[in-house]
Amino acid sequence: MSSPMEIEAQLPNGNSTAATAINPPSKLGKLAESLKLEHQFLRVPFEHYKKMIRANHRAVEKEVSAIISGVSDFEDSNRSRDETVNQLNSLVSRLQGFKRKLEEESRTEQLQAQRCRARLDHLESAEVDNLPEWNSIRLKRILVDYMLRMSYYGTASKLAESSNIKQDLVDEDVFFEARKVIDALKKKEVAPALAWCADNKSRLKKSKSKFEFQLRLQEFIELVRAENNMQAISYARKYLAPWGATHMKELQRVMATLAFRSNTECVTYKVLFEAKQWDYLVDQFKQEFCKLYGMTLEPLLNIYLQAGLSALKTPFCYEDDCTKEDPLSQESFRKLALPLPYSKQHHSKLVCYITKELMDTENPPLVLPNGYVYSTKALEEMAKQNDGKITCPRTGFVCDYTDVVKAFIS
Amino acid sequence: MELNSIKDAFDRVTKKQKLSCSKSQEVIEQIGQEIEQALSRIQSGQDSASPSDHKLILNELKAKLKEIAPLSQLESTQKELNVALSKYPKLLEKSFNPDISKAYRNIDFDIHAVNQIIANHFYREGRFDLGDCFVDETKEPEAALMKSPFVEMFHILEAMKSRNLEPALNWAANNHEQLTQNGSDIELKLHRLQFVEILQNRGRDEALKYARAFLAPFATKHMAEIQKLMACLLWAGRLDSSPYAELLSSIHWDKLAEELTREFCNLIGQSYESPLSVTIAAGVQGLPTLLKLMNVMTGKKHEWQSMKQLPVPVDLDREFQFHSIFVCPVSRDQASEENPPMLLSCGHVLCKQSITKLSKNNSTRPFKCPYCPSEVEAGQCRQLYF
Ligand SMILES: [Zn+2]
Ligand SMILES: [Zn+2]
Repeated sequence: MSSPMEIEAQLPNGNSTAATAINPPSKLGKLAESLKLEHQFLRVPFEHYKKMIRANHRAVEKEVSAIISGVSDFEDSNRSRDETVNQLNSLVSRLQGFKRKLEEESRTEQLQAQRCRARLDHLESAEVDNLPEWNSIRLKRILVDYMLRMSYYGTASKLAESSNIKQDLVDEDVFFEARKVIDALKKKEVAPALAWCADNKSRLKKSKSKFEFQLRLQEFIELVRAENNMQAISYARKYLAPWGATHMKELQRVMATLAFRSNTECVTYKVLFEAKQWDYLVDQFKQEFCKLYGMTLEPLLNIYLQAGLSALKTPFCYEDDCTKEDPLSQESFRKLALPLPYSKQHHSKLVCYITKELMDTENPPLVLPNGYVYSTKALEEMAKQNDGKITCPRTGFVCDYTDVVKAFIS
Repeated sequence: MELNSIKDAFDRVTKKQKLSCSKSQEVIEQIGQEIEQALSRIQSGQDSASPSDHKLILNELKAKLKEIAPLSQLESTQKELNVALSKYPKLLEKSFNPDISKAYRNIDFDIHAVNQIIANHFYREGRFDLGDCFVDETKEPEAALMKSPFVEMFHILEAMKSRNLEPALNWAANNHEQLTQNGSDIELKLHRLQFVEILQNRGRDEALKYARAFLAPFATKHMAEIQKLMACLLWAGRLDSSPYAELLSSIHWDKLAEELTREFCNLIGQSYESPLSVTIAAGVQGLPTLLKLMNVMTGKKHEWQSMKQLPVPVDLDREFQFHSIFVCPVSRDQASEENPPMLLSCGHVLCKQSITKLSKNNSTRPFKCPYCPSEVEAGQCRQLYF
């Protein structure tokens, strides 16, 4: 593929040292670059796998400790022989039950490991030859990611199912965990969110998350709203005070609501009672959740859309004659692209108005006497069909094919 | 992509996980055995055994369990597993782009516009079930605006698949004027296909009748084509062994279905390719460049948020090139309405501002073309329209 900038090398004056064309990255190189964008695709199922392993291990440790302390316990107490036999028997059956549970959980772990492995295989399967199909699956994965994040679970599931990517290539099960918390928060229930915080305590602490504090503040506000002042105070003592060292300002602000109550007109405190605080908690949870799983904070769809729109956006896109094939000829795409930067070119890239093909060395641009430019291929064809006459499709201007001149684009 | 080292790292994780799993089972097994042994010893003791006997056995059991040290057994395999578990994500971060949202501009991304784009995408792919489900779930009925034209299009295409051209012909007739205006000859192509079908299946008389009614109007503009079709009448019923056998090829059906899709989309103001697919594909190609840019722009996040034009070119494949962009080789500026491209008399093209500079703003004073030895005058330069 030659680019227009190489035309320079063929100039009549022999001044042809300017063949500075930088080799554009090969198809293979571009593919490798694009695969490097797939971090989340590998990371999320792995984090899920890791979580399972950790939880199962904790369960084993807990069970073993419980059994051992069980044995010591009734060794200490003075029990009859029959009692001891009964106790030991119950320990044996408890252990058997636990063993079955362990086997089952190890099977789920294997399944998750397989899923992680399947994703590696899927990335490896991308080749220049099967790129159209592979890209189409990528678009579906990106759409499912968007829908799961936006809580459009029904369509997400349907799309994944019908594209055969449900099993291994999307993270429905991970989002299922989030769904419980989000649904509860939408109903103004914090218990599942708090349970989730407890489950992920050490990691949330590591990232200095204050999500749990925000949940506690909200619970406190609800107590104030219900005018359960005594309860609110003891709640604050128990759950808010521990955060005082790091979040004193917020703590004081929220405590002050005791004085103002929920019908306050004071702006600083009024907002704390607004219903949208709950929406804010949902957003906050989504952010924490994504961070924990190594997901991007924005839906993949939005990230790729923005990058694509910036790369495609030109000042010509907002004109009436922008070709329909350009996504930016559509109102919805234009709207999204409005706050984004225009693309930049370092070298001319000319597209023939008639054939939509690039005008380059093989198909150089020709100029009509009226200044309008078309590709050689297009004008040759037109001249052949019309006894050497050329009609400018944009102005109706008519001339002979012999009247056109070549333009040299550097 | 070279994934072998990553696969190896992952295999290490699963290996350690299996080890840890069997260790847990082993430890549980061991504890169980010890308890059962103690149990049978107590039970096998004579009924008259003194109450201190079973206490003794319990004591021994306790010592045994201490000796097995199940928790520390678990700990050592778990440690190895933890090492593998923390190594793998680090390797992923090193081999991949760990945060592709770095080049994301924090602006309000209009959810309704995005949802409308998605619904449209499903409808244009003929996935009406998905489109409806999505519109329903997002509670955005206005996103279904484009549904009915696409329903019509897929109705036509479905009929064509079962060799029924009726809906396609109706559509072409209804849009006759616009199609002619766009320079499309799809109507003739549909009639030709129908004519061949009739000739092959219903005989010469029917075919002739059809030709008179529907092909004749095209005679003035497509004489050669019509003559060829009329010659086919000579081989009625055995077209497959005629010089025109090629007309029976199913390729014509596939090609025509594609062309119809193109024309249909064009008439309803839509592109042939899904604009969502196109934009995402462009995004996948452009994002690596943008992410590299962000690496050199660290600390200038604010600048990035307000930039009017990307500071670097993003190299996209030619299928994403929808507009002619002229970049002046002298000033490196992109041409615009105020600064249009101009043709020098030697054939080289520069933008207007560069010419003004080179000629020192004198339209008759000759200056040397920067790209060839020619002497040119600014006054003789002509504006170009790409
Ligand atoms: Zn455009
Ligand atoms: Zn020149």
